[in-house]
This record gives sequence, structure tokens and C-alpha cells, in this order.
Amino acid sequence: MSVGAAVSNPLASAWRLIPGAWRQPLTVVGGVLAVSWLLIALLAPLISPYDPLAQGAALYQAPSAAHLMGTDELGRDVFSRVLWGARISIPLAMLLVALAFTIGGTLGGLAGYLGGWVDELVMRAADFVFAVPTILLAMAVVAALGPGLFHAVLAVVLVSWPGHARVVRGLVRTTMESEYVAVGRLLGSPTHRALTVDVLPNIAGPVIVLAALEIGNAILLLSALSFLGLGARPPAAEWGSMVSTGAEHFEAWWMGDFPGLAIVSVVLAFNLLGDSLRDAFDPKAIIKARGA
Amino acid sequence: MKTLLSVRDLRVWLDTARGPLSIVDGVSFDISAGQVFGLAGESGSGKTITALALLGLLPAGARTGGSAILDGRDLMTMRTAQRRRTRGREVAMVFQDPMSSLHPMLTIERQLTEHLRYQLGMSRKEADERAVELLTEVRIPNPEAALRGHPHQFSGGMRQRIQIAIALACEPRLLVADEPTTALDVTVQAGILRLLHRLCQEKDLAVMLITHDLGVLSALADTVTVMYAGRVVESGPTAQVMGRSRHPYTRGLVDSLPHPEAADRALVPIAGEPAGPESRPAGCAFHPRCRYMEPPCATAVPPLIRIDDGREMACPVDPLVASLAR
Amino acid sequence: MAFVLTHLVPGDPAVANLGDRASADPVAVRIYREHFGLDKPLPVQYFVYLGNLLHGDLGESEQSQRPVNTDLAEYIPATAELAITSIVLACLLGITLGVIAALNRNRLSDQIIRVVSLGGMSTPQFWLALVALYVFFYKLSWVPGSGRLDAIVLPPPHLTGLFTIDSLAAGQFDVFANSIQHLILPACVLAAFNMGLFTRFTRSAVLEVLENDYVRTARAKGLPELTVVFRHILRAASPPILTVVGLAFGNVMTGTVLVENIFSWPGIGQYSYRSATALDLPAIVGVMLFVAIVYILVNMVVDILYGVIDPRVQLA
Repeated sequence: MSVGAAVSNPLASAWRLIPGAWRQPLTVVGGVLAVSWLLIALLAPLISPYDPLAQGAALYQAPSAAHLMGTDELGRDVFSRVLWGARISIPLAMLLVALAFTIGGTLGGLAGYLGGWVDELVMRAADFVFAVPTILLAMAVVAALGPGLFHAVLAVVLVSWPGHARVVRGLVRTTMESEYVAVGRLLGSPTHRALTVDVLPNIAGPVIVLAALEIGNAILLLSALSFLGLGARPPAAEWGSMVSTGAEHFEAWWMGDFPGLAIVSVVLAFNLLGDSLRDAFDPKAIIKARGA
Repeated sequence: MKTLLSVRDLRVWLDTARGPLSIVDGVSFDISAGQVFGLAGESGSGKTITALALLGLLPAGARTGGSAILDGRDLMTMRTAQRRRTRGREVAMVFQDPMSSLHPMLTIERQLTEHLRYQLGMSRKEADERAVELLTEVRIPNPEAALRGHPHQFSGGMRQRIQIAIALACEPRLLVADEPTTALDVTVQAGILRLLHRLCQEKDLAVMLITHDLGVLSALADTVTVMYAGRVVESGPTAQVMGRSRHPYTRGLVDSLPHPEAADRALVPIAGEPAGPESRPAGCAFHPRCRYMEPPCATAVPPLIRIDDGREMACPVDPLVASLAR
Repeated sequence: MAFVLTHLVPGDPAVANLGDRASADPVAVRIYREHFGLDKPLPVQYFVYLGNLLHGDLGESEQSQRPVNTDLAEYIPATAELAITSIVLACLLGITLGVIAALNRNRLSDQIIRVVSLGGMSTPQFWLALVALYVFFYKLSWVPGSGRLDAIVLPPPHLTGLFTIDSLAAGQFDVFANSIQHLILPACVLAAFNMGLFTRFTRSAVLEVLENDYVRTARAKGLPELTVVFRHILRAASPPILTVVGLAFGNVMTGTVLVENIFSWPGIGQYSYRSATALDLPAIVGVMLFVAIVYILVNMVVDILYGVIDPRVQLA
């Protein structure tokens, strides 16, 4: 009995260390999964059993002890390639979201803050992008610029910025229309102070949530473009293009299925994280927690 | 007077991480047909939760204890399906805000007839006829046209009348009215109260009137039970409880709120704030705010003692005696 | 606007379409340009185009050498059939799960449903399509692999262009069965993402409605829980759900490139992909017009439905 108690206690006390808002089981699962993938991306060179580009082994081997996820059409170890794929997809997606957020957020913030023709211009540009189906627009941009990972990233940034712009604009507008900001301005605090002290802290929460969810979307789009041959080029170990190669070799299901599973796992991790955090940052939930 | 509902030691609590949180702590009373039974108290006293417990409408996670015998059957121990059948049919409830209590997208006809057809098996035609009858009873003008309308097309007072009509549709024995006039204009309140009075008399209906408004109580209620922090502190005929209150809390309430019985006295507020369920004081829940507090009050929960025929109160220190002595 | 955009895209369509010939034969390029009016200044091209448009003439596709109208008329119904089926599936599953999740808030079933719905939204459609094909076609042979009908089966007489409806109307039950077989897998793949989306939206809409007093009133009348859920709760929650379903329908109608490609489904998705990569201007513009019309129609329908569901809404 005492051994059982001793074993369950560390888990319980570790659980209690997590601050309140994050203590939901799904948040923890998402967080752990996301961190794991980040670690994989960081440590792939150290932990992958083989060089992702090395073509030494026998071709089209099914998963085995030596090759956990089998080998592909050129004798490369799929498992190592999947691990290394994280080094392409995850950092690129984060870069992409950072870019889209910076561009979109600035434009949206300016639009919301300044109003007038700036607002009109930004919203028209956003509508332009919204009018075209996402994949088609991304494809068109890459087709115009020429295939390649960098162009694919640009294409996705182009497609994503209006989403960020609209959210930030909305947040800025609601915060500015809220009474306490109006009071602050009446009392004469300078505009930029109002911005940093009043507006920014309020939009931080939803923005973080959006960023987490967008990382997932970015990975999906990037891999879709690579799948079409418009993004990463062989022999780079990118998940989307690996699925595409896998499609050409239907028999060797391990070639395409594992990279796809990796995509699902990473995107799910960030989606879980973003979704649970959204509940934690929900103003109504915060009010309930404080006031009850 | 025949007793319709007999509630004994009703308890409602929540199981929280820090242990059980008591909301209603052993409440007992009797309600008779043809009478208006008033349940008074401030917000947080547990009066609404008591009513919801009787109807079986408590939120998930709430646990109950005690008994509520209606016609020989205990509402609190009934199976869910049986309990559901008593709702609307034997015990009905009218809520505080008629705007939010009526479904904004359904017609009045639908809202009036759906339980008529489900509970009593009426056909559409029969139900519609009954609906017109009901609307006429609650004095809604032009009932046939009203049936086709929606809640947002009616005024607050009319919506409350419609809510009452809905509650009375299946001819229940007990009507629970939770703050029926609080959300209404003063001018409209009197009309609703008159309506409730008339219905009570004409149909031998038992009405449980929940309110914090002493004026409403003295106008309508035959008996009053005063609750504080989940317990009953005083009960008896309205005129006596309000005119010659014995419990310090009731005295404090009567002295601090304007009402007809005390038209000539100055208002004296009760010191302190009512305690929520999390922070109930030990012993007598009112003792931190009580002028007549004695040391035992802080440790022992005072039992409900019978003073006269039909009157009870829960205070070992009798204010009348105490004030005479001082 | 569509017109201007396509002309902004760098790359000479004449060269793109003629391919290798262009580099070898400048005369061919010139003739091509003249034929398609590409040599005239841009504003003139625009007016000519608008004029044609008013006559219902969208020009000719450079790829197929047919009027764009004909192309669209042929490909749109295929995508529509796919879109409608997948949205219906996503609605049935998504809304049901969303209601269950909301009613069981924070309990195990809610958590499981949240993971499943997010999973649906995290799965790349192209991969799901391939895996589905592998399992259900390659390994189990439960469904055929590509196209809308088996090669030997003739399409039913044209009524709407939707093979399922047309074959039923003509009483050709074997054709009907065959088209359903082909339809089911791509429709399910497309439904995965939207199922997740609808679950989440339904859940939050229902949670908001549950806070309202009229839900309590409905229960106080002793109505059975199912009635309360469908007549009272879902009805009140439908406006936001309707909006997202409409939007999703628009997205599926216009964004099925990958799935159509993998399943060899001859729809607008494939058509727009070919047009985009070949810089087939009239076709591209035609597609964009189609996209715009789809969203306009969807918005109209959603607005009308709003008015039907919620009597407080005034229809202009």
C-alpha cells in the first residue's frame, strides 16, 4: 500500500505544479506532444539511426527492427527521414506564422487603430485574397514564382496574412471602443501609452491562440504544396513530398503513411494546444473563475 | 386546510474538491392547496435552489437529501422518468425574467401546446382550444392572434402572463413562482399579483411565492417562511411574521426595507453582507451581523422552535424579550 | 477584379500554352496572341470580355478549345455532387457529436469528441485520400478506385448532372448503386475536416444556448430530453451553425483540387488546377466567376434560412 502511495504521489504533485489554466488534460497532452516534436526537430541529427540521404540499404523494405519505418525507393531509411522532416516543416511553419502575423498583425492593427482609408485599403486587399480558394491561390503563386520551398513559404504567407490582419483589427477595434480606454484617452494619456498598456495585453491571449492554430494550418498547406511538387524538392526529406512519392509506390505503404501520420501528429498537437488555450483565455471563463 | 406538499429536512449540496458545499441545509415546511406560501430571503439564501430541488431542475453535480411528499409520493426519491412526468403536470414553475424564459424562436402556440399534447395526449385542435382558454384566463387580449405571435412582440407584463398560462396548462396542483414580478415595472406588478391571487382562489391552486420583496409578500402571501444562508429562521402567518417578527434577521429585514406594515418607521439597514455558501459562519449563520448575539450563537446551530400555533423561529435569544429587558 | 488579377500574374499565357513551339516559332506566338486578342491593350480586352459576359459568353478555354461555359457546365455538377454529399455527411456526424459533447461538457465523452474533431481538422486531405484508397480499394476492394462510374457503365440521361439523382430519376438502379460506390470514399475524405469543424461550432453554439433560461423552462414542462434538444436547443443554436455550414459548403465547392486529383474525379477542382498551371486565362476567369457566384448564392441561402428559423430577423 505504501509503495503504491509513494508512486502515485510524484505524479499528483507534478500535476499540481502546472498553473491553473493549463491544467486541462488535453492542454497537457497537446503541450507534451508539441514539445516532443520540437525536441525531435532539434535533435534529429543526434537521434536518427541513419543519414536521411544515405541510400545504402535494400530498397522497399517493410518496417523491421533495423528500419523502424522501412526503406524507400532509393534505399533510404524512412524513420530517419521522418525525423528529419520535422526540421523542415516545423521551423518553416513557425517562421511562416511569425511572418504572416507580423505583416498581417501590423496591417490589421494599423487598420483598426487608424481607421479611414488605411482601413479600407487593408480590408480590400484582404478581401482580394479571401476571394480566391486558398490552395489555388497558393498554387498559382508558386507556379508563377517557380517551385521551391522558399517560394512555397512566401505563397502561404501571402494566403495567411489577411486572417491575422482581420483578427488583430477586430481586437484593436473592440479594445479601443471599450470604455476604459476611452477614459484613459480622456484623461490625457498619450496614444502610444494607451496602445501598450491597454490594447496589447488584451489582445495577447487570443493572438497566442491564433498563432498556435495557424502553425498547424501552415504545416498542412506547406505539405500540400510539396505534395504537388511545388514546395520542397527531392531529395529533401519533407513530409508532403514523401507522401507524394509514397503515392507512386502504393505497395510500399510505409513510405507515404508514416510521413502523413507525422503531419497529423504535429498538427494535432498544436491544434490541441491552441484549442485548450482558447478555453483558458476565454474572458467568460476568467470571469467565472474569479467571481464565483 | 389540506396539506398538499410536505417538505422535511431538504438538503442540497455540491461535492467540491474541498468537500461538500452546503447550499440548502435542512429546510422543512408545508404547503396547502388554495394558499399562497411565501418563501422570503435575500439572494444567496437558497430559496431558488429549494424550488429547483422540488422540481428536479438542479444543475448537474448537485446532490439532494431529505423528503418532499406530494400526495403520498416522495419527489426527492422518485425515478427520473417519473419525476419528469410530475413537472408541468403536478408541479409547475414560473421564472423571474419572462423575456429569457420564453423561447425566442417558437410561436406562443407551440410553447403553450407542446406539453399539453405530450403530457395529456391532446390533439392539435384540442390543444389550441385550450391554449385560447388559457390566454383568456390570464387576460391576454385577442388570444387567437396572440397564438401566432412570438415572445418579442409582447410587453414584459404580457410575457409574464403568458408564462403563467404555460405553467397552468396541464392544471398543476402547485405553482412555484420565482420572483414573478421583480423584472417588471411597478405598475404592471399589481396586475400580476392580482392574477395569481385570483387563480389561487378559483382553482384551489397552491402557490409557492419566492421573493425578497416584502411588499409583494404582504400583498399576496398567506404564510411566510424566511430563509437565511440555507436554513429556515422564521415562519408563520404573514401579518405576524412581518408585523411582529421574532427572529433578529426577520426584524432586521422588516426594519431595513420599506413595506406597508411599517409605513411610519425609519429604515435601519442590517450591518454586514449576507454570506455566500462558501463562507457560512459556524453556529448560527446570522450571528456575525446580529445585534443580540451571545457566545453560544457562534458554535451551536439554533434549532427551530415553535412559539405559537403555526409559528416557528430559530433563535435562542428572543429579541422581544431581550429588548424588553434592556 | 478577377480579370485584373489573372492578368497580373507574370508569365505570357501564349508562351505557356504553346510550350515548346513558342520558343521555336515567333510567328505562331503572334498568331496566337492575335486570335485571343492578347495584343490589344488591356482595357480594351476587359471591355470586350465584359461585353461577351453579358451575352453569357465566357470565352473559350485555351486548353480544351471549347467555350468555357461548356467546360463549366460539365465539371460543376461533378463537384457539386461530391460537395453536397460530403457536407451532408459532415453535418450529420458533426452536429450530432457537437450536441453530445456540449451536453456532456468536460466529461470523458466531451474530451474524446474534442480530440476526434481536432483530429479531423489536423489530417491532410491528400494523405487521408491516399490511405483511404489504399485500405478500402487496394486491400479490401470494397469500393472502386477512380472516376464517377465504372468505365463500362454509361451515365444516366442528363437531368441535373448529378449522377445519383439522374439515375434515380431514370429508374436505373444499377447505375445509381455504381455512382454511390464511387462517390462514397471521396465524399468521406472531404467530410473529415468539416466534420471536425461542425462538431466544434455546434458544441460552442449549444453551450451558449444552454445558459439560457428557456432551456430550463422547456425542462420544467416535463418534455422529454430529445424534444428539448431538437426543438428548443438546436433551433436556437442553428444560426451560427448555419453560417459555418454555408461557408464550408462554399469551401468544398471551390477547393477540392487534391482530392479530385487523387480520385480522378472530373470536377471543377481539377479544371481549375489545369487552368492555373497552364495560365489558361479565360478558364481561370471563368472559374473565379464561378467561385464568386457560389459564395454569393450560399450567402443568400443562409440569409433566407436565418429568416425562416428566427422570427426576429427581418428579411429585406
